[in-house]
Amino acid sequence: MKNEEIIHADEDGFFTIALNVNGELGHMIVSRNETLVEALRHYGWKGTKKGCDTGDCGSCTVLFNNKPVLGCMMPAVAAHGGNITTIEGLGTVRNPHPIQQAFVEAGAVQCGFCIPGMILSTKALLDKNPEPSEADIRKALDGNLCRCTGYVTQVQAVRIAAKKVKAMKKQQEKLAAKELAAEKRKAARKTAKKAAKKNK
Amino acid sequence: MKNIKHYAFPSSVADAMSILMNRKYKAIIMAGGTLVGKTIPASAETYLDIRSLPIRDIKVKGGKLVIGAGVTFDEIDNSEVCKEWAEGMLSQVAAQCSSQLIRNMATLGGNIARPHSFNMFPVVLLGMNAEVMIETKDGKLLMPYADLLKESNLKPGENCIITEVLFPKKTKDMHFEFIKLAKTKSSWESYVILFFSNDKKNPKFVIGALSPRPFCAEEAEKAYAKNKPAEEIINKFQEAVSAKAKGYRAEAAVNLFKRYLGAE
Repeated sequence: MKNEEIIHADEDGFFTIALNVNGELGHMIVSRNETLVEALRHYGWKGTKKGCDTGDCGSCTVLFNNKPVLGCMMPAVAAHGGNITTIEGLGTVRNPHPIQQAFVEAGAVQCGFCIPGMILSTKALLDKNPEPSEADIRKALDGNLCRCTGYVTQVQAVRIAAKKVKAMKKQQEKLAAKELAAEKRKAARKTAKKAAKKNK
Repeated sequence: MKNIKHYAFPSSVADAMSILMNRKYKAIIMAGGTLVGKTIPASAETYLDIRSLPIRDIKVKGGKLVIGAGVTFDEIDNSEVCKEWAEGMLSQVAAQCSSQLIRNMATLGGNIARPHSFNMFPVVLLGMNAEVMIETKDGKLLMPYADLLKESNLKPGENCIITEVLFPKKTKDMHFEFIKLAKTKSSWESYVILFFSNDKKNPKFVIGALSPRPFCAEEAEKAYAKNKPAEEIINKFQEAVSAKAKGYRAEAAVNLFKRYLGAE
């Protein structure tokens, strides 16, 4: 077995793990008892909420290697070497992600405690299935409990989000195509200039 | 978790076995960790994380459906191969396990290695006469899952690792009935779990959630195979159930069985 496949606790029972959180690679020092949600909150990603701590409510949802998982059921050390996306990795107050906008527009946010988890579950759903049916939406969100609403507005929010994400992707594709065309034109101009110089 | 000193992430079954069998490590195997992750015994000193092992395939091999023990419930739910096997029974069962977040983490191996009374796949595996491939210190071993439930020397996660689950070729086109009676659709706890196969030669009536381990109503199966009257089959089923449990849950199991036979 390779040495990098086994990590050991220090004298005080702490482990040093490598994690990529929201695109930033870093190291965390975590205790053996610490769950992923506790470690993330300890290091400042407080958008991830700690609710029931037994895997029932889903408020601790984070994306682990692009799949929504329960942060309270996963020891922090078990996340070693993984890619984590928390709600902070999606958007900001000034520049919210389309899914966040959709939840606000639909009035799906009341106390807000469950929303980070719901948004991350929605993100994973829309990445896999850009046009989900109501059954798909309800199935994807069945692990995220909300005690304020009856889930109706949240299902609407996901539908709005699906449209917004689709529009955003189209725009991104258009932009990418424009950039590519501009680069091609630039390259063509360069080669034309070179050819003209040679002819002179 | 309070005594865990090492976390191991082996990438091969041989490496995982060498750590598991090395007494120095006092290892405990974890995959999804949704069932026992919170209750790791104090005696364990190494958390043996087997999510990187190459046991995550779903394929048809030699006519049998082979599912790696590391496959998650979500992967079974969405697998095209599973959807085509036994009218999609395996995908339907996987979809009924708890919530999406649990299904993303929980594995088939974990569900059958430590069979809790509420786990659904032990019931399904018994009903479909599935086999399991086990890695022991002496090498690979293929055995019926029913024998593993009875076997006392082999303890998956302690002295061996389940690597694959194999479903017989003949189950591909068979019709099965799976019933989970629970408080809510996403409840992990169930009142009763039932799995029926009305294969005339080899019927299976498996009951879960009423006892620590699932069991078959063998006398009822024999009566069904011999074409005995429905009343006699139901009586035999009732006897098997009442030997293990009493009260409303046992009653519900019998009533559901009556409905299945069309006797109610």
